[in-house]
Amino acid sequence: MNILEANNVTKRYAEHTALSDVSISIPKQSIFGLLGPNGAGKTTLIRIVNQIIMADEGEVFINGEKLEPKHIGVIGYLPEERGLYKKMKVGEQLMYLAQLKGLSNAEARTRIKYWLEKLGLTEWAGKKVEDLSKGMAQKIQFIATVLHQPSLLILDEPFSGFDPVNANLIKDEIFELREKGATVIFSTHRMESVEQLCDHIALINKSKKILDGKKNDVRNSYKLHQYEVIFKGSLEDSTSIKVLNNSVSELGLNKSVIEAKNNESPNMILQELINKVEVHSFIEIIPSINDIFISIVKGGQS
Amino acid sequence: MKQIFLVLKREYLTRVKKKSFLLATILTPLVLPAIIFGIAYFASRDKDSRHEEILVLDESGYFSEVFDASGYDFKYISGNLEEKKASFAEEGAFGVLYIPAVDLSDISVRRFEGFQFYSETNASIRTMERIENQIESRLKDLKLQRSGLDHSVIENLQVNASLSTFNITESGEAKESNSGLSFAVGYGTGFLIYMFIFVYGGQIMQSVLDEKTNRIVEVIVSSVRPFQLMMGKVLGVGAVGFTQILIWIVLMATLSTVGISLLSGGNEAVMEAASQQMPQEAMSQQQEMAANIQAMISSVPVAKILVCFLFFFLGAYFLYGALYAAVGSAVDSLQDAQQFMFPIIIPIIAAIMAMFFVLDDPHGGLAVTLSMIPFTSPIIMMARIPFGVPDWQLALSMVLLIAGFVGTIYVAGRIYRIGILMYGVKVNWKIMKKWFTMKV
Repeated sequence: MNILEANNVTKRYAEHTALSDVSISIPKQSIFGLLGPNGAGKTTLIRIVNQIIMADEGEVFINGEKLEPKHIGVIGYLPEERGLYKKMKVGEQLMYLAQLKGLSNAEARTRIKYWLEKLGLTEWAGKKVEDLSKGMAQKIQFIATVLHQPSLLILDEPFSGFDPVNANLIKDEIFELREKGATVIFSTHRMESVEQLCDHIALINKSKKILDGKKNDVRNSYKLHQYEVIFKGSLEDSTSIKVLNNSVSELGLNKSVIEAKNNESPNMILQELINKVEVHSFIEIIPSINDIFISIVKGGQS
Repeated sequence: MKQIFLVLKREYLTRVKKKSFLLATILTPLVLPAIIFGIAYFASRDKDSRHEEILVLDESGYFSEVFDASGYDFKYISGNLEEKKASFAEEGAFGVLYIPAVDLSDISVRRFEGFQFYSETNASIRTMERIENQIESRLKDLKLQRSGLDHSVIENLQVNASLSTFNITESGEAKESNSGLSFAVGYGTGFLIYMFIFVYGGQIMQSVLDEKTNRIVEVIVSSVRPFQLMMGKVLGVGAVGFTQILIWIVLMATLSTVGISLLSGGNEAVMEAASQQMPQEAMSQQQEMAANIQAMISSVPVAKILVCFLFFFLGAYFLYGALYAAVGSAVDSLQDAQQFMFPIIIPIIAAIMAMFFVLDDPHGGLAVTLSMIPFTSPIIMMARIPFGVPDWQLALSMVLLIAGFVGTIYVAGRIYRIGILMYGVKVNWKIMKKWFTMKV
């Protein structure tokens, strides 16, 4: 079951097309990476899902239902441009944001108390936001995003501006929410920062989706049949192996990147290597999402 | 609706809870009259306490005991004008009034010349006019005497007429009117609306801008439609202004009631204390004054003015408030807002300037036209109402104002929904127009 499904979504502005025929499906309880460079159309897609703007074409479904105003309560959105009312007290501010999401006064009160305690901010409830440190304000923003227990969390550039300690703290909270059944969408242009967190990804470039699927499937399908070998002896090209570069490992051993010319299996390559040199290490090089992105974008250009 | 109310509540409470609101609300109706009375008091005291001498060199001999002007003593002298011109300042006098010999033998002569006034600094226009009048009136008297009229006839020619003005109400009843008070009420209410547009319009713009610069607006619009956010804001800030006005009305009504009852001696303690100090005559004079004030107040349609004031006040506020919100949403800082403020401010300034002409001629073409155009009608109509406005004009103006603010709210809403999400855009009128037509 997919919590979110976008079918052929297109959004045009006067001078440019922000999204063109983008379809994605996000399975329940997944951590989904919406990746792509700045200006690719990620934020446009997210704003459409949040009903801040409307798609020109295409449809969006939440839990199989066509997107409508009531779904606001299902989603917790942390925008890239985020902030708080500086002159308002922390507690009042969270109460206001919770009520806007439709929470009752009493319900909001208990949850605010729970979250402030959980993130160690209880004694700051009566303070104004302008008195908080940046890290604390970020935690408050996170609390505001999750107060109404959304089943879909959409975090746009979630870790930009976070210090590493806070980033890890928030990551842990996100994982915990996922365990409890929430689905998480990370949108970022810094692909390496979320690559290890995600189990599904979609790559968007210049308003088009260029790739999506389970992260591991994607990486496997883009592997180049290259291996990093650390060995004693010397290695030269053969009918099945092409040596791409040579270097020296930290322990003084030779280190080479080799490529299987005809997509031979790792076992076959390893067998050949064993006959030629003494193998100390043999690792298949699986490309990172960033590498895949770059190779696709470059391939598309040439 | 619930969302609009939540936004409204926040905007309202954060403002009303501020100390500055409390101070402004309580102090303005106390401080403002105090300042006005203070200035008036010091000005009159200044005038009374000043006693300067004007030397009168009367060569005609007709003008003894003719002159008096507040703040000046007239001293009759004889001598040479040239000498006195040179020496009056040293003698400590303010100036020299020279009256030449006047020939009244020919009754047909109407023009008299040669009257001169010398001083180091200019005397006020009013004093000079007064002296001139006194000279003219004296000459007139002299000429009347020469033409052989009996002294008692001349005395009887000094008449004094006062014109009482009445408005005929719909029931045919004649009601005493008071154009002085109408002027004051028209001016006051018109000016109050003018002031409120600036103060509260500015607050809306600031509030929109704050949400943009605080970067909270996208968080909010993920749970509230931009139009709801804008309306909540406009209504919330408006409710603050409304509260303030109501408090002022109540305060002023209380203060004036207390004031009148003090004057009329309604308060026994005051009366007792006063009667010991004042002769009975002065007392009844005061009571008469209080009665006059009460009559004056009842001569203007207080209830009608109040209702109309609240209506036009809110109408003006919605009309301009929405425009202020649109400007706030389009720009990134207060400085950028200036260029868009200009066309909004122009009709308000035009209205306040036209108001003086309207007060002069409340039923003229200019007055009627401007009291129909929604951008100027709140100020101009309030200036006209105390003088009496036909019901159909009032109704038409109200309908047009409603249409006007519905229109500006619609336009503003379309710019607002795009503007709040735009950062770092160099906005101009063309871009605003594009936002207006843009689909969301």
